[in-house]
Amino acid sequence: MRYLKEVFAARELLANLTLREIRGKYKRTVFGQLWSLANPLALTLIYTFVFGFIFRVPLEPGDPSGLKVFALWLLCGLLPWTFFANVVNLGLGSLVANANLIQKVYFTRVVLPLSIVGSSAYNWLFEMGVLLVVLTIAGAFVLPWIPLLIVIMILLMVFAAGVALMLSIANVYFRDTQYFLSIVLQIWMYLTPIIYPLSLVEAESDKLGGLFGTSITVADVYGLNPMVHFVNVFRQLLYDNRWPDLNEWLICLAWAVGSLVLGLIVFRRNEKRLAEVL
Amino acid sequence: MTDDVAVRVDHVSKSFRLYHERNQTIKSAIMRGRTSVHEDFWALKDVTFDVPRGSTFGLIGSNGSGKSTLLKCLANIYFPNKGTIEHFGKIAAMLEVGSGFHTELSGRENIFLNGSILGMSKKEIASKYDEIVAFSGVEQFIDQPVKNYSSGMYVRLGFAIAINVDPDILVVDEVLAVGDAEFQAKCFTKFRDLRAAGKTVILVSHSMATVKEMCDQAAWINHGELMTVGPAADTIQAYEKSLTGGPEG
Repeated sequence: MRYLKEVFAARELLANLTLREIRGKYKRTVFGQLWSLANPLALTLIYTFVFGFIFRVPLEPGDPSGLKVFALWLLCGLLPWTFFANVVNLGLGSLVANANLIQKVYFTRVVLPLSIVGSSAYNWLFEMGVLLVVLTIAGAFVLPWIPLLIVIMILLMVFAAGVALMLSIANVYFRDTQYFLSIVLQIWMYLTPIIYPLSLVEAESDKLGGLFGTSITVADVYGLNPMVHFVNVFRQLLYDNRWPDLNEWLICLAWAVGSLVLGLIVFRRNEKRLAEVL
Repeated sequence: MTDDVAVRVDHVSKSFRLYHERNQTIKSAIMRGRTSVHEDFWALKDVTFDVPRGSTFGLIGSNGSGKSTLLKCLANIYFPNKGTIEHFGKIAAMLEVGSGFHTELSGRENIFLNGSILGMSKKEIASKYDEIVAFSGVEQFIDQPVKNYSSGMYVRLGFAIAINVDPDILVVDEVLAVGDAEFQAKCFTKFRDLRAAGKTVILVSHSMATVKEMCDQAAWINHGELMTVGPAADTIQAYEKSLTGGPEG
């Protein structure tokens, strides 16, 4: 509890470090903040061409929104994923990148990975804002779902923060973590229903039935991936404009809280030795 | 008693690991069941002293004697293996000036960023902003990115921020060796002001002249052990005698 108070007391520092990340990122570029849109846009073009046009991934119209645009459907899952991947990737290196600061000044170290969450969230917010406008133009009625959207965004931020805290510590001890992570993130992305619908996995799983004579199905194992549930909730809110299953909310909440608590515990245990180990 | 003490260093020991082989890879950790082979090196051995409130306290000793380790312990950057360090009042450490500057950001933005890293609130920084800029003497360039600053300007700005944190206890490493003579004179005046205001200053220096001029109290550390502590003149004398007298130094 006292630790949380200390973190809370450092909120101004957190805000300043977040601003440092945001301001420093697109300095001396002509397009500035617009670059934040370039990456998701490029991915959307590629995936839409490959999976929407060549492979013809079966796309069900949004229920009840009636939307049937692959690119938009894709973005509803892709934007949360790229945010998560960004936080984990940058957060992991945040301690090593600021080694000099850690060795020279005392402050609550936890603000370093958290400021990455903040600055990535800022970019994400920008992207989601654009997506909301486009969805509205395309005919989805997303406005009433915005409060719930904010809730799930916060949950994903919390989940990502916890993972980033743990990995940032791991990377101080084992620099392999960063290389390992880039592979894991690639696999993780394809294990999450971003470029294909969840219904395909469920259909295959039903065909196969219980694994090795048990009642556990492929879909059950698949569901162990928390991002499956996050993407599912995002897509139902944004693309389908429908209230997601309460169960899905609870799973997301549990993962978010669990990840943050574990992350804070791991971080706190190792925080004091950082200056020596780095 | 505690009214007169600013920092209480109580039986502090600090060890570092000397690695004979260091494997920061997962492969070696798994294959060999260990990440490293090391032995402990005690940089500080059972150091105990009090820093009186309102004093200017010098830490002296040869290279590798453990002064900087002790300073980092005082600044909460290292944590002692044994013993405790108690602070009575707000502490600020100046181990390196300008750490945490973002080179692409302007001087103004960096003042706010660096101030908050050093523990100042936005309001405090805003109220001291003019003073910081005036002290650093970079008024003309305050809206330029700091990467365009000369090294002297960079250091002066960093120092100006740190000295305006307004702590009860200020911990300073050998940063006084920066800037031109005029700026150094400015710094000494500022330290004198701090002392007049009843603040405690702890500084590490290799320059006996500086210590003699600035400090009223001093501690001499040799190979991690506290040799003497007390009035600055006596401690310096003992230290200098050991340098000229004994071959074991």
